[in-house]
Amino acid sequence: MALGGVSVEKCYVSSCPVVEESLSDQIQGVMVSKEEQITGNLSRIESVSVVNKEVPEGILNLFLYERKVSSGISCNDGNVLVMEDNLVLKRDGCSGFEISDDRSSVGKVKGDDCFEFVAVGGVSSFSSEGDLSSIQSVESNEFRQNYLDRTRFSVIPMSNQKKRNFQIEAFKHRVVVDPKYADKTWKILEHAIHEIYNHNASGLSFEELYSEFCGDEGGVSYDIVMSYFGAISVMITHIMDFEMILCVVRWCVVCSVVVIRVYQITVSSLCCEWNAYNMVLHKFGEKLYKGLVHTMTLHLIEISKSIEAAQGSLFLEELNRKWNDHNKALQMIRDILMYMDRTYIPSTHKTPVHELGLNLWRDNIIHSEKIQTRLLNTLLGLVYRERTGEVINRGLMRNIIKMLMDLGSSVYQEDFEKPFLEVSSEFYKGESQTFIECCDCGEYLKKAERRLNEEMERVTHYLDAKSETKITNVVEKEMIANHMLRLVHMENSGLVNMLLDDRYEDLGRMYNLFRRVPNGLSSIREVMTSHLRETGKQLVTDPERLKDPVEFVQRLLDEKDKYDNIISSAFNNDKTFQNALNSSFEFFINLNPRSPEFISLFVDDKLRKGLKGVSEEDIESILDKVMMLFRYLQEKDVFEKYYKQHLAKRLLSGKTVSDDAERSLIVKLKTECGYQFTSKLEGMFTDMKTSQDTMQDFYANHPELGDSRTLVVQVLTTGSWPTQPSVTCNLPAEMSALCEKFRSFYLGTHTGRRLSWQTNMGTADIKAIFGKGQKHELNVSTYQMCVLMLFNNADRLSYKEIEQATGIPASDLKRCLQSLACVKGKNVLRKEPMSKDIGEDDAFFVNDKFSSKFYKVKIGTVVAQKESEPEKQETRQRVEEDRKPQIEAAIVRIMKSRRVLDHNNIITEVTKQLQSRFLANPTEIKKRIESLIERDFLERDNVDRKLYRYLA
Amino acid sequence: MEVLSPDGIMALCKDLKMEHTDIRILMLAWKLKAAKLGYFTQDEWKTGLKTLQADTLTKLKKAVAELEKEVNTPPNFLEFYSFAFRYHLTEEKQKNIDIETSCELLNLILGSKYHSQVDLLIDYLKIQSDYKVINLDQWVSFLRFFKEISFPDLQNYDDTQAWPLILDSFVEWLKEKS
Repeated sequence: MALGGVSVEKCYVSSCPVVEESLSDQIQGVMVSKEEQITGNLSRIESVSVVNKEVPEGILNLFLYERKVSSGISCNDGNVLVMEDNLVLKRDGCSGFEISDDRSSVGKVKGDDCFEFVAVGGVSSFSSEGDLSSIQSVESNEFRQNYLDRTRFSVIPMSNQKKRNFQIEAFKHRVVVDPKYADKTWKILEHAIHEIYNHNASGLSFEELYSEFCGDEGGVSYDIVMSYFGAISVMITHIMDFEMILCVVRWCVVCSVVVIRVYQITVSSLCCEWNAYNMVLHKFGEKLYKGLVHTMTLHLIEISKSIEAAQGSLFLEELNRKWNDHNKALQMIRDILMYMDRTYIPSTHKTPVHELGLNLWRDNIIHSEKIQTRLLNTLLGLVYRERTGEVINRGLMRNIIKMLMDLGSSVYQEDFEKPFLEVSSEFYKGESQTFIECCDCGEYLKKAERRLNEEMERVTHYLDAKSETKITNVVEKEMIANHMLRLVHMENSGLVNMLLDDRYEDLGRMYNLFRRVPNGLSSIREVMTSHLRETGKQLVTDPERLKDPVEFVQRLLDEKDKYDNIISSAFNNDKTFQNALNSSFEFFINLNPRSPEFISLFVDDKLRKGLKGVSEEDIESILDKVMMLFRYLQEKDVFEKYYKQHLAKRLLSGKTVSDDAERSLIVKLKTECGYQFTSKLEGMFTDMKTSQDTMQDFYANHPELGDSRTLVVQVLTTGSWPTQPSVTCNLPAEMSALCEKFRSFYLGTHTGRRLSWQTNMGTADIKAIFGKGQKHELNVSTYQMCVLMLFNNADRLSYKEIEQATGIPASDLKRCLQSLACVKGKNVLRKEPMSKDIGEDDAFFVNDKFSSKFYKVKIGTVVAQKESEPEKQETRQRVEEDRKPQIEAAIVRIMKSRRVLDHNNIITEVTKQLQSRFLANPTEIKKRIESLIERDFLERDNVDRKLYRYLA
Repeated sequence: MEVLSPDGIMALCKDLKMEHTDIRILMLAWKLKAAKLGYFTQDEWKTGLKTLQADTLTKLKKAVAELEKEVNTPPNFLEFYSFAFRYHLTEEKQKNIDIETSCELLNLILGSKYHSQVDLLIDYLKIQSDYKVINLDQWVSFLRFFKEISFPDLQNYDDTQAWPLILDSFVEWLKEKS
């Protein structure tokens, strides 16, 4: 519909900040009404002034009334006002606001104290979606009269001009105040309140109430209609100005506009409101308020009587019903007393109507002598019944609790929560005492967990959410914290038993419950740690266990697996538990000085035979586990020593099962301890590879030797291998000739090197034919080969003869003869006299009767897998010797960078630097420092006894 | 080169009416900056006596008596104490003195000052088997130990400080004994 030609009756601009609850006589902001009428086309609006150029932040409403309808209203976010009909008022740079629609600019707002609308160009038409046809039939004059008469606002600047605060003075009524007006009106209102309480609100006489309001124009639609402009709905929703509402209501009634949207305020209550409004306006607020208090109190006393009279379970129901009624009534009363609520009450600092209603309810019902205790006991009784397994009406419970909460958090807390917590505490104190006497630990925890869940469920069903922590704290304290130690240590079912039996579920429950209380987890951790340390200590110091190193390590791994599982499935993978586990393992593994050796032996065992037929992933996982144990070792250098020895044996005897597995472990060690740690181990692998190539070259250079590779030499780099200076034994003539050939070949290509034969580390395969023609291939050591070869030229040899001919050191010779002559099934030699040990006077023969079901017979040397006591001492000493230069190097490194350092810090730093390899002994560090002082690397400070200085 | 040999020194002692083990002879050696045990070179003798302003036996006697005071001032004493150690290093590259000599020297130099401590230390050094020789560091630390550590309670001894191990062991031994 085109508005182009409609004359503008009135331009009305208002702005106002966000409507505050306490909106009273003063409204910050502005309302302006221009006295003179503006006629003409909207596009020719010339001087609508807007006071207050600073548009307040927040909601700004702007009404442009043309005829009787505002054509624009908007809320804004500061810069842009969206008006009806696609008009936009937006900030236009610095000059002011611009009003425009989507096509063209309609007007500008500018000026200092006033904005002026200046028409720029015309708006030929703009349409709106609403239907104005019915409105058009109303005479504009009529509207103007009705409207303007009632709503003449005068704007009076506040004393402080700069603040631009304006006071809206109430419109002066023409109504002559009847001296009995107040009493008369109050009677009407009082009656209304009574009716409300008596559920007769709908029967309120509209005519009576309305007459005061509408005069002779009754009998029209009771509904307030928001048809054309959302503006009005916004206005009413925010109730920014009571007078305005009344104007609009009146206007709507007059116009009898078609109902499009029904607002939920009945005219009857509005009429009451009108009465209340008038009373307040005529300074009878006090009377109104007092009357209200009085009337409500009267009703509440009645109500309380009826609640008291309710018997048994009906008590709560009655209370609930009355409460609902009261709430509804209160809502209505508040509606009719809206104006008082908004003006009189804030200005006199009285309690607002709704709150007043709640307070009165609290004082007259909840705190009434006969109800207060009864209510509390009933509620606590219900909770108790529920705890003991009965089903209660949770909905009713929830309503009553909700009522207490509505009356204010202090009412809920004082009248219910506090006693509830006290009673609960007593309840659980008693119950936990009973449980702990008759239940085992697991059972008890189950019960405690159930109770805890029940309480949480209770909170979600009918208590204030804020009560959850409070009540769970009570349960936690009474059921867990107070019995924590007893539970953990409970005989036959406590933590230790759970750990022993892998009771994941119980452990998990204990973890989850105990974590709720202070020190809960730490007490679990402590018990677990001491148990672990105790069992671990037994494990590593049990002499029985020490007999089998592989079994020993396997037990450690099993133990570790067991606790890893417990921590991951029951203890939530808690880091602090993992740390406790690690520190415990570190503690007891190092209690046994042989742990490094045993771990190496375990690896040796796995890499020799244990890994056959095991998949690659399994190998990896076994090696990973071993690495984990390795990590716990303080003396990693000792491990390295043994590992080197064991690796050397594996490599030289070709016993290694998987080259990949070997290398994988080296890589792991390297990641763990650095290049230096494994460089020699890697050197060993390189030597093996080089030796293969060298042998190929050797045979290629000596075609006369044919394909039978009688001699295989492995050239080992001194230093990389755990070689010991040893005497080269006398090799059989066939062999020594070959060896010579190899020596000259090797030295020919590698001048300047020295080769010494380590006959103690070699092996040999020899073919033998025994007395009855039985053929066998014997797999022996180089020493054994030398011994056996002697029997090619002799039938009988005495010990002395053998010793002389071979030149093998006595201890080695005895061991090698023992394995040749004394081991059943492998006794290729016969000894006289027959005995277990080798004597200096023994004589040896070939055992013609030797038989074996295997063609290949492996004759091992009788060697202890585990080191013997003296060997151990020796290794120990070597380790200690190796440590000295490492400690010194660390000290020098540290002192070189620090120049001056005190004793304690040197010890700490050296220990730290070396801990990836071994745990340095402070005394040893001190000795090394003294040695460095003697060699003038360091000196003591002359003044400060604690300090050392670096000398360079 | 003219050298006063051990025999000559014995004769000198006789003239000075002192035992050759008298600490004052050691002090004289210190003053003369003597380099080799039992010998005074001509240079050492000349420069030494010049600084002592002694050109007669009587004057020398007097000067030697004065020497004791000079030595006993703190900086001089430390110097003298270390000199005594170095003076007894007779061999090329020798850095240590055997326990026996160390004990005698300790007794000679510190015996009067720290009587009870020195006696105990000597007892300990003779009993223990970890050390066969004493180096300069340990030697100097002994003096420092006597000077700084309250005796016999040893209350201010702290084995986390930079004392040589030998003193840790000594203190431990003392504590065990009591």
